[in-house]
Amino acid sequence: MRDTFIFTRAAELDALPAFREFIARVCERLKISSELAFELQLACDEAATNVIKHGYAGMNPGSIMLELRAQLNTITMLLSDFGHPFEPVETDAPDVDALLHDEPTTGFGLYFIYRTMDEVSYYTDEMGNHLVLVKNTGKE
Amino acid sequence: MFRALRLKQAPVKVAPEPKTISIEQWLGDAQYPLAIRTINTLSHDAKQRFYRTLIPPELLGQLGINPILWRGNGYAVELFADPESGKVNLSINNPEDTRDAYFVLELQDNSTNGIDLNLILLNDPFAEKFGIEYDADGHATQWGTITRNLVEEERAQRAGLAPAQVRAGMGFSREVLNQLDVFLALCARQAISLEPLTYVSAWIFEKRGFAYVRGHKLMDDIHREFQPGGKLHAALDHSTPFRHPDAWQTVRGRAWAIHDGILETIGERWRDLRMIKVVGKHAGVETFPEAKY
Repeated sequence: MRDTFIFTRAAELDALPAFREFIARVCERLKISSELAFELQLACDEAATNVIKHGYAGMNPGSIMLELRAQLNTITMLLSDFGHPFEPVETDAPDVDALLHDEPTTGFGLYFIYRTMDEVSYYTDEMGNHLVLVKNTGKE
Repeated sequence: MFRALRLKQAPVKVAPEPKTISIEQWLGDAQYPLAIRTINTLSHDAKQRFYRTLIPPELLGQLGINPILWRGNGYAVELFADPESGKVNLSINNPEDTRDAYFVLELQDNSTNGIDLNLILLNDPFAEKFGIEYDADGHATQWGTITRNLVEEERAQRAGLAPAQVRAGMGFSREVLNQLDVFLALCARQAISLEPLTYVSAWIFEKRGFAYVRGHKLMDDIHREFQPGGKLHAALDHSTPFRHPDAWQTVRGRAWAIHDGILETIGERWRDLRMIKVVGKHAGVETFPEAKY
């Protein structure tokens, strides 16, 4: 089985609930567990927030295109935008203790994505900036 | 350590510099992205073979133009693709007045080595012409974006045209954009960008699968503020012929009000919008749900 679902909204914080709802709808259709759907929703929230706050900073925001591709044993979530591109940097893992004690800390969103997704990659090309998140579904 | 993402400081080139791609490289690798500038170095006949893919044969057929010869019924397809230029312009004009274009399509390499759709015009030769592109003194208005010919614009509006239209449309926008996808795939390109001239253009390009590089939020804001209770809705006060109180209900009505400067009400202007279409992919954007044209 292979299927692709695309959903596009403006890069605004107000759009996050619509992205979550879209993921829930697709996961339900694909019979993906609600736990896994929740992880995808959280990862999408974190990634989209990053794009909204930083990628489109200083411009009238464009679109965020969310694409879900179901394969036999995996689901791939592709988040594309057309704002300022990012580049990967090696850095210390964020301080989880600081977060637990309500102290200021940054970089936790992406760290969380790495912890919950099975594959994470990022690239920029003619079609925009793309964050690719792959999650094993365990289906046979 | 873990891999974080930080904002890049310099813009990213999405394809190699056109001047660095030779025809030999391009012939030897079907995935090598091809620029307009590279095609333009070819002979006139070779260029014509490439650019022929940009015009739907049925559009040419409707005008009585032979799709191979690019001539017929008194019409001709004009091709401007200078060897040193990164731009291609295809046009079909009124044989009796070459400034009166029925069809124009212009593509250009952009600063990030992508391709821009600069212009697409599809005017019905048999429809009445409105002189909105020249003001009363004969100066070009750039389709009403620099100066305006209010008398002609009002006539065009009453005739059911959208801002920047000199004649009723010929149709074929879907076919031309489909051909554009074919052309881009032929050139191993994956996307095309454009700046929509009017609200109607943006709405049409949404329907044809485009997303926004810039201006998606503006389009959402426009839709929200045109609803009853919104600031744009309130500004439809009939203070000019382009601000009819019912204008919020249709794409064309909104477009004329925006062309008339109504966005100043919300501290905005129609500028800096940019759209992108990924080849073979429909973004599904709909900033005016269930719109009436």
